[in-house]
Amino acid sequence: MQQRDLKYQFERFGLVIVWLGFIAIFGVMRPDTFLTWSNFSTIFGSEAVLVIVTLGLIIPLTAGDFDLSIAQVLTLVSMSTAILDARLDVPLLVVIPIALCIGALIGLINGVITLYFRVNSLIVTLGVGTFLHGVTLWIGNSQTISGVSPMLMEWVIIQRLFGIPIAFYYAMTLAVLIWYMLSYTAFGQHLLFTGRGREVGRLTGVAVGRVRLTAFVMSGVMGAVAGVLYTGTTGSANPSSGTFLLLPAFAAAFLGATCIKPGRFNPWGAVIAVYFLVTGINGLSVLGFRTFVQDLFYGGALVLAVMVSQLVSGRKERGL
Amino acid sequence: MTTGDALRLHLQGVIKTFGGVRALDGAGLSILPGEVHGLLGTNGSGKSTLIKVLSGFHAPDAGTLQIDGHPVLLPMPLGRSEAHGLAFVHQNLGLLAEASVLENLIAGDHERLNLWRINWRAEADRARDLFVKYKLNLNPDQIVADLSPVERAQLAIVRAAERVREHRDHGSAGVLVLDEPTPFLPQEDVRALFAIMRQLKESGVAIIFVSHDIDEVLEVTDRSTVLRDGKVIGTYDTARTDRDTFVQAIVGRSVSVDRRVQALTKAPAIAKLRGLTGKILADISLSVHPGEVLGLTGLIGAGHDEVPMLLSGAGHARSGTLTLGGREIDLTRLHPADAIAARIAFIPADRQRLGIAPELSLTENATLPLLGRSPLLKHSMLRRTTTDLLKRFTVKADNPEQAASELSGGNQQKLVLGKWLQLRPQLVLLDEPTQGIDVGARQEIYDRLAEVCAQGGAVICATSEFEQLEAIAHRVLVFDRGRIKAELKGADVTKASIAKACYEGAFDHAAA
Repeated sequence: MQQRDLKYQFERFGLVIVWLGFIAIFGVMRPDTFLTWSNFSTIFGSEAVLVIVTLGLIIPLTAGDFDLSIAQVLTLVSMSTAILDARLDVPLLVVIPIALCIGALIGLINGVITLYFRVNSLIVTLGVGTFLHGVTLWIGNSQTISGVSPMLMEWVIIQRLFGIPIAFYYAMTLAVLIWYMLSYTAFGQHLLFTGRGREVGRLTGVAVGRVRLTAFVMSGVMGAVAGVLYTGTTGSANPSSGTFLLLPAFAAAFLGATCIKPGRFNPWGAVIAVYFLVTGINGLSVLGFRTFVQDLFYGGALVLAVMVSQLVSGRKERGL
Repeated sequence: MTTGDALRLHLQGVIKTFGGVRALDGAGLSILPGEVHGLLGTNGSGKSTLIKVLSGFHAPDAGTLQIDGHPVLLPMPLGRSEAHGLAFVHQNLGLLAEASVLENLIAGDHERLNLWRINWRAEADRARDLFVKYKLNLNPDQIVADLSPVERAQLAIVRAAERVREHRDHGSAGVLVLDEPTPFLPQEDVRALFAIMRQLKESGVAIIFVSHDIDEVLEVTDRSTVLRDGKVIGTYDTARTDRDTFVQAIVGRSVSVDRRVQALTKAPAIAKLRGLTGKILADISLSVHPGEVLGLTGLIGAGHDEVPMLLSGAGHARSGTLTLGGREIDLTRLHPADAIAARIAFIPADRQRLGIAPELSLTENATLPLLGRSPLLKHSMLRRTTTDLLKRFTVKADNPEQAASELSGGNQQKLVLGKWLQLRPQLVLLDEPTQGIDVGARQEIYDRLAEVCAQGGAVICATSEFEQLEAIAHRVLVFDRGRIKAELKGADVTKASIAKACYEGAFDHAAA
């Protein structure tokens, strides 16, 4: 029993240990560039967007649905924010609610198509995402839009707390909220049953359709939050910003499901997975590897993560 | 057996154990060339296990197989059976609904087809010739989904029969196994299938016809083997055997069952069902009284198992109303949440898919219906509730946080029962509640149901296990093709009389 507990704890914190190992190795090799507080605070701040996209993904994933459109929601919202703010001079306090509504609306569309027409969410959100990318290119004239008000940047990346940009704390706040929702609310259990035992849930009175719809709306809103922060992080919006975030977010979501609460999509696992992946890429680029390591690393991590989780669950089944 | 050489197929001494339960205990089959051989038995008698041993799906613990006198190693590797001249048509027919008749016909025919170039025109001509030969009104281009049920069955049988006839490894016409192909077909369509079977028999093919329907077996078979409790009760010359002998062989002598039925107090019905129509059920009405266990039974395809599904909102009825505790419920638009609110509980048959979420913890599984009461979870309280529930329903578990998949079948079922009975339902619906469950757990489940009754609730239990009904039911309704054909009460609720009512021809024993 004792040994089993130890093994379980090792499984829970395995990724954290590997992460710390990475930091140690890179730190020894490049102590003056990699192992600096400024390098880490930059990582923590700039990758807050990826954290939020990943957190957004795990909500529909828990309910058994994919949201491939989330990255393009980010791009569209980022572009809309820049246009409304920089071109049309709409005050930020109006822009942000509009941005969140766009996200919610897209989530609603994803959900309605998936549920009403009973189509696989993978296909629906793949199509909707590509469509949104088209809309983004259209409204932004395929250009990068800059000149976003400094106020937004101020409250996203410039303000720091303990040396880390404030965007990081937004991401952590959302992680706390989602952790609370998944662990301590009836809705969290409904999401779980919708994903892992949909028919059991339905027969026990869970409105599984409504739960799935809500999950899509939530991931849409999370994508929108990430979009606003993205504009604030870079001070501009470019029409391909989200495209490169989708795979890392999936990799982190699945990798995160192998730790902290192994076997379940969970926000703290996701947060750790994001920073693990980013640390690895940052370290390799500090060592002088070129951009291709990003794809090697993210792609490899995604496949490895699903293999590991399959092994873990397979071992449990065989252990019966 | 001395005549072993003349047999087309000879299966002997098959033993197969599943988790300590002997599904087959020295069973066997001997099939003569060109005969139609019936295989009869109740649910759990071992007939489907025997067929699955033959098809290579199950590896037997012991047993030998000879085909045309040559020993064949068991388990036969999947896909090798055709080479031995064996082909199977299972109840689901194995057709791809969205593909064409021709595509289905040639699917898997690797031996004959040139896999690099399929000559569709030649194949279509070949198919047409085949349909003429068997006098089938089928067109190679039709989509299988557009065919009637009997046409689908005909297609599947002809496909299998052709495979059998083509593979003449031993120069024989092979054996065709039909595993319950008829339960959802109307009488005249069954006749159409029999015509094909007779034609195949003429051409020398031996047919194993697995069925629950004694009339069909009497009509079409030459000999029949009856299985009970994994043993062969006998092989009979069909023409010289009457129905009663078969019923007797299938059901066995009545052993005295520990019948634990409490006397009913006279009270108005707690639930009244009117005009229920579903996929199979046609305009069913019934009522249950407080404290009563009402059993519903019938053979495969009778529709009795639809009743719990439709009363719980698990599926939607075409029509029907349920009056429960003075409230009228429209069954065409009943959702599970409404049913729960009306204090109806449903324990489904498919435990792994509908009863529990296997990956989730015992606590999560047990407390899901309680969560609606407050939006926030108190984990310590939920864990305590679960610990209590595990104790009360004698679920053997390490701790409430382990995954439900780690429990044995009986303990899983007790967990499901506990999950629902903690809501104090007034109407408990069950569908095959003791499938794959050991005797001890069965008894505990019966005791729980008796408690429900003692508290004034009512139980409706759909099952194909007659013994179970004899043990717990006050009254049994026997279904046949969507209708109630008999009602048995009090002392008439015995395994033998239920079996008699089930296997009797349709409607000639209808209750007054």
